[in-house]
Amino acid sequence: MSEHDEHHHPSAWGPHDWSHGAPHNSWAPLIMSIGFGIFLFMLAAAFTNGVFDASYVPLVFVGLLVSLVGLIVWWRQDMSFDGTYEPIATGTPFKNIQIRKVAIWVFLMSEMMVFTSLFSTYIRYRTGIENCQTVFERGDWVSQGYTLEAGEALICFEPASHLIASSMWHIAPGAINTFALIISSFTIVQALRWAKKPLGTVDEEVRRKRVFRYLGSTWVLAIIFLILKMTEWFIGFYVPEIEILGIHEHHIHSLYSEGYLINADHYHHHDWVDEATGATMLADISVSASTFYVTTGTHGVHVLGGIIGLTYMTFKAWTGGYTPKNAVSIEYFGLYWHFVDLVWVLVFPFFYLY
Amino acid sequence: MNREKIATRTLVIFVVLLIGMIAVPSATSLPTGVAGVKDLGCNCHGAVPSDSVVPTLEGLPETYNYSEVYILNIGFSGGPADPSNINQGGFNLWVSDGTVSPSDASVQSWNPNEVSHTDAGNDQTAWTVEWTAPANDRNVEFILHTNSVNGNAGSPEGGTSGDEWNRLSIQISSPVVVLEQANPYTVLTTLIIVSFVLLLIVLTFIFYQNNPDSFDWENFAPWVAGWLTTTDHKRVGTLYFLAGFFFLGIGGIMAILIRIQLMVPGNDFLTQDQYNQFFTLHGTTMIFLAAMPLINGAANWIVPLQIGAPDLALPRLNAMSFWLQPVGAVLIFTGVFSGTGADTGWTGYAPYIVSETAHVGTTMWVAGQILLVASSTLTGINFITTIAVMRAPGMGWMQMPLFTWSILVANLMLFLSIPAFGVGLIQVYLDRVIGTAFYDAASGGDPLLWSHLFWYFGHPEVYVVIVPAFGIISEVIATSARRSVFGYRSMVYAMAGIGVVSFIVYGHHMFTSGMDPTLRFVTMLTTMLVAVPTGIKIFNWLMTMNGGSLVYRTHTLWALGFLVTFTLGGISGMFFPSMAMDLHFHESYFVVAHFHYVLVGGTVFGLFCGVYYWFPKMTGRMLDERLGVLHFLTAFITYNGIFWPMHRLGVWGMARRHHTYFISVDEVRGVDGEVITEAVIGALPPEAAGWNMFITVCAILFFFSNLIMIANIIISLVRGKKAPADPWGGWSFEWMTSSPPPTPSFGRFENGEWHDLPTLTDANEHIANEPSRVGTWFNKLMVADKEEVEN
Amino acid sequence: MAVTSPLFDILWDEYILWSLLVGGFTFGWLYHHSFSYRSVDGENTPNVDEIKVGVFPKHNDDLRLEVAWTVLPFILIIYLTYISWAPLDHVWAEPGSDARGDECLEGESSANIFYADTGFVNSECYHVIEITGQQWFWSFDCDPDLGEEWTQRDFNLSADLCAVSSQMIEGYGMQPVINLKAGETYLLVMESEDVTHSPWFLQLSTKEDVLQGQKTTMWLPMTEVSESLVLCTEYCGDSHSLMAAVVSVHS
Repeated sequence: MSEHDEHHHPSAWGPHDWSHGAPHNSWAPLIMSIGFGIFLFMLAAAFTNGVFDASYVPLVFVGLLVSLVGLIVWWRQDMSFDGTYEPIATGTPFKNIQIRKVAIWVFLMSEMMVFTSLFSTYIRYRTGIENCQTVFERGDWVSQGYTLEAGEALICFEPASHLIASSMWHIAPGAINTFALIISSFTIVQALRWAKKPLGTVDEEVRRKRVFRYLGSTWVLAIIFLILKMTEWFIGFYVPEIEILGIHEHHIHSLYSEGYLINADHYHHHDWVDEATGATMLADISVSASTFYVTTGTHGVHVLGGIIGLTYMTFKAWTGGYTPKNAVSIEYFGLYWHFVDLVWVLVFPFFYLY
Repeated sequence: MNREKIATRTLVIFVVLLIGMIAVPSATSLPTGVAGVKDLGCNCHGAVPSDSVVPTLEGLPETYNYSEVYILNIGFSGGPADPSNINQGGFNLWVSDGTVSPSDASVQSWNPNEVSHTDAGNDQTAWTVEWTAPANDRNVEFILHTNSVNGNAGSPEGGTSGDEWNRLSIQISSPVVVLEQANPYTVLTTLIIVSFVLLLIVLTFIFYQNNPDSFDWENFAPWVAGWLTTTDHKRVGTLYFLAGFFFLGIGGIMAILIRIQLMVPGNDFLTQDQYNQFFTLHGTTMIFLAAMPLINGAANWIVPLQIGAPDLALPRLNAMSFWLQPVGAVLIFTGVFSGTGADTGWTGYAPYIVSETAHVGTTMWVAGQILLVASSTLTGINFITTIAVMRAPGMGWMQMPLFTWSILVANLMLFLSIPAFGVGLIQVYLDRVIGTAFYDAASGGDPLLWSHLFWYFGHPEVYVVIVPAFGIISEVIATSARRSVFGYRSMVYAMAGIGVVSFIVYGHHMFTSGMDPTLRFVTMLTTMLVAVPTGIKIFNWLMTMNGGSLVYRTHTLWALGFLVTFTLGGISGMFFPSMAMDLHFHESYFVVAHFHYVLVGGTVFGLFCGVYYWFPKMTGRMLDERLGVLHFLTAFITYNGIFWPMHRLGVWGMARRHHTYFISVDEVRGVDGEVITEAVIGALPPEAAGWNMFITVCAILFFFSNLIMIANIIISLVRGKKAPADPWGGWSFEWMTSSPPPTPSFGRFENGEWHDLPTLTDANEHIANEPSRVGTWFNKLMVADKEEVEN
Repeated sequence: MAVTSPLFDILWDEYILWSLLVGGFTFGWLYHHSFSYRSVDGENTPNVDEIKVGVFPKHNDDLRLEVAWTVLPFILIIYLTYISWAPLDHVWAEPGSDARGDECLEGESSANIFYADTGFVNSECYHVIEITGQQWFWSFDCDPDLGEEWTQRDFNLSADLCAVSSQMIEGYGMQPVINLKAGETYLLVMESEDVTHSPWFLQLSTKEDVLQGQKTTMWLPMTEVSESLVLCTEYCGDSHSLMAAVVSVHS
């Protein structure tokens, strides 16, 4: 630390006085790094090759907790950041744009590579391994003995769409999720628009309420997304009989209860019963399930990250923290959120419909 | 202050806890797969040994005589064995030295060191074998397993129920007293701990030197805390250098241990298992924990200075990039001290990496790598953003110094390729942890998918580590020759070309993998083509010296040395795309020679060059020139002694990742046609042994020669001459600041804005920093509205 | 006993020639300039390119030279690719092509012809045999059970053409030996039982990975009596170094 400043240096734990420029000391990076390390270490200790050892679970949470502490320190240094010092670019062709906006775009480029790799894995396996329905219809599995009765499983690709796209009700959560995300992209833009309205053109209380409501709606829609995804994956739901609307009773099973799991090496579907012999085809669909859950799960983790950010932003909006000066921070989040939405718009048809 | 103290101490506890994790394997060991009786015991006959069985081994002397033959009597008593049963028992005798052979048909030989009973011999309780003592001095260990069976081979429960076994271990000594052989783990742990302690001592010493009067905890704690929490690019750069050099040393220690093992054929200093872990960690450490941090250190220090920026675009994120590295390192090294470290090779091929035969430490290796991937991605974002948006007025893209360009190209390559590696790692991590099936061939998983994801990253990665060295060499040769770099624009286009082409050549690592032949041809062509931009750069450097006035300093020597070794590495690299030759070279020492020429002779020498060049700027002290020249001469000569012979060894047939090798011996017949020496079919001709010894000696000397540089650094920090702002006559902005530069590096922050940033003028006549038509259009695209700008 | 195949040697010689030329040119230039452009008067040097701190120096380039050393290496590269193309095609020749012929019928011989100028070996037909890799040993099979897409053979190969035995090799222990006949070409069909391995047939200068769940292939055109080692060259775990075999070729 240099000795030239006479005034008190802001604490490395936060909060920070931004009129002095960005913080030049922070405990957050070190703590967050240690937290992630502990998390990955303990997660591997809790699970080994699919075998679960519950005694390590508290330590997994310790890891998450330490990361959270780091994140809180980071946030504390940014708390009530009013945009006084928002660094602006000086280099062509980015003159006069916010530096952090450029950083978000660059970050999104790397995120795109992540999802490209996940998609590549999916496409490789989807096109390389024969589709289960095709194998079933060909029929030689009966004579080869890949049946439930015999207990021998063949390898084939079972896309999740076989289960999810099987009925309107089954696809409903996914479809609602798609709309939820698209609408949430709209609400985030509205939040930005209201926050950016120049001083004097709008009543401050109106601005506060509008920004809060739009950010809040985005938050709610994101939560709905995750709830519906969990329903689809683990819970399933029940549609009661409503005669007036012509709705029949439906039990929509979750993927979990249908046996669509990453270790599903003895899986069968009710469609796969051979008419002639009554035998049921047995398949090893671990690869299909792995690609599905990890790709959609990675997307879900990104939504969760967005929710964490949105929680803070909604709270900040409630306190009237957004002014035209710092409205651009909503735009940073908006860019990330649009990206998450875009990935979903690609994931949904490729994994849920096709 | 009190809260700070508590927080600091809590943090220290965390760090200690983290270090404690290194010594503890992360989970219970899984069975390691097929291994001899010597290791697992007669566990087909029962899970644990039983005390009721007493093995006996008679006929051994306390001290053997060279090459003498001893008759050994093996037997056992106890257990359920009964002479009335068809079978009574068996044995397995393993000797660590000398040879053991059967005396009759009741004994058979597995290999010269191990004998066991035959089918005919399993109804006895005593056997006889011959042991021939070695002709040299070794402490010899005999491990005898005997099992006593209850003869119920035909029973419904199967033949092994009710059997009991036990083991006996005897050591005898050689005529001349020899020391116990060192345990490599002990050696490694000791060296790492010693290095770390030395590092701490040096740091404390430096602190003391700076403030001899206030050498107490009250001053020390904030000093340490200042370093742990810093976000200043110069300090983060220094941290990267410290971590990088520390791990360069650790990687070097591992290399020395590997070379000691390879010193003589058939050596047993390292077991196979230990060797496998050591070469894995050597590669991983050198690339991810040494080369990348050293490059990041130089980039962190120099890039903001060169573009006239006060700091990087995202300082806290930069600190996070750094701290992910030591944490990742702890995870990567997990298990290595207890024998369960990762043993997959730094390339971690599937399906071995997800198999149960790979050690448990592999999961932690993968986790640590995931953290390093995150670190590199964040670094990439930071540098690309910084270079794009924080260049000083007057500095257009084509007026940046070449080092900055090299960092930009390297980071673009890095952050576009590393997410693929990250996804592969996550897939492997999930496979090993929660049991997904990405690489489980039994469920349809494809090991080649890993190869593609890995090498899609892996190839750009090696260009990521060499391109910054290119940047450093450009700067140094130009400054040393007192000229501007020849062909600045083609240098930029060549680097960019290398950056783009690097993504489409990765197939050349997979030529023998069963890939489609058409793809193999395409990759051959593109790999050959990448030599063209690289050649352009080399010729440009040579031409830079033309008409110049070369002032010879240590950094000049390193730059010229780089030109020699990197050119050699590049030329040897050209042999691989010719696929018919690659079929011979793949996974041989020819590959090892090539990549060490470009990685050490290229990247590391380039970094040494950069250290000597920028040390005065970073620390305000000059390095001692004589020590520098001594370092260069000793290192350069010994380095070539290590890696040049490896080309020949590779052609002869020495394979990579083999813990030992054997020499072929031609048959020698006497005058009467009788065989004096039997032919021994081994991989390598006899000269290979001598060359391996030579290489090991050079390696040890090379390791120590680099300590000269460390000593030079420490001495110069303490009492080196004070450095002026521009000791070498460079033109870029870093030479404008004081040595060391102030914080912030340029300008001052007042009223929410930066003032007094430097402006670059151009000696060439063209209008600087005007956006081109493309730039104007792009600018309009990126800037949302005028209001933000006016505020 | 040669360690490399003639095909390899021919390419190697050509590449060494060009390497010496390029290397000689580059190093000659380097040494010349390092000496003749040494600074004579220490720090007081003529500032040809107007080097001043904070000023981007004058450009130092020569378009003709730069084009020359872009185009000439490019031509060399094209040439080297060209001379590597034919060997590539030969090494991965398709079964049924002119170089390899179809699978041998009973009693047929490959009648290998060796071309000394290119190192190519042409055969009239080939025999299919199998190698399996597993942790940590190789196993050969002269009469493998492969299925129609790999072999149409309905007879066993004679012991003269292919036989499996074992031999004690110093350091490696007891290892399998495949006994093949000089003048015959074999198509090696390979698979792994567990992880990826790769047999390196030293004297034939050839190797190809063996994978789990997939079959890969390699040609073994035998031309002379010899004995050569086979090493594992894809890291496969603990005893990777000791996973060896022998190819013994008799007349």
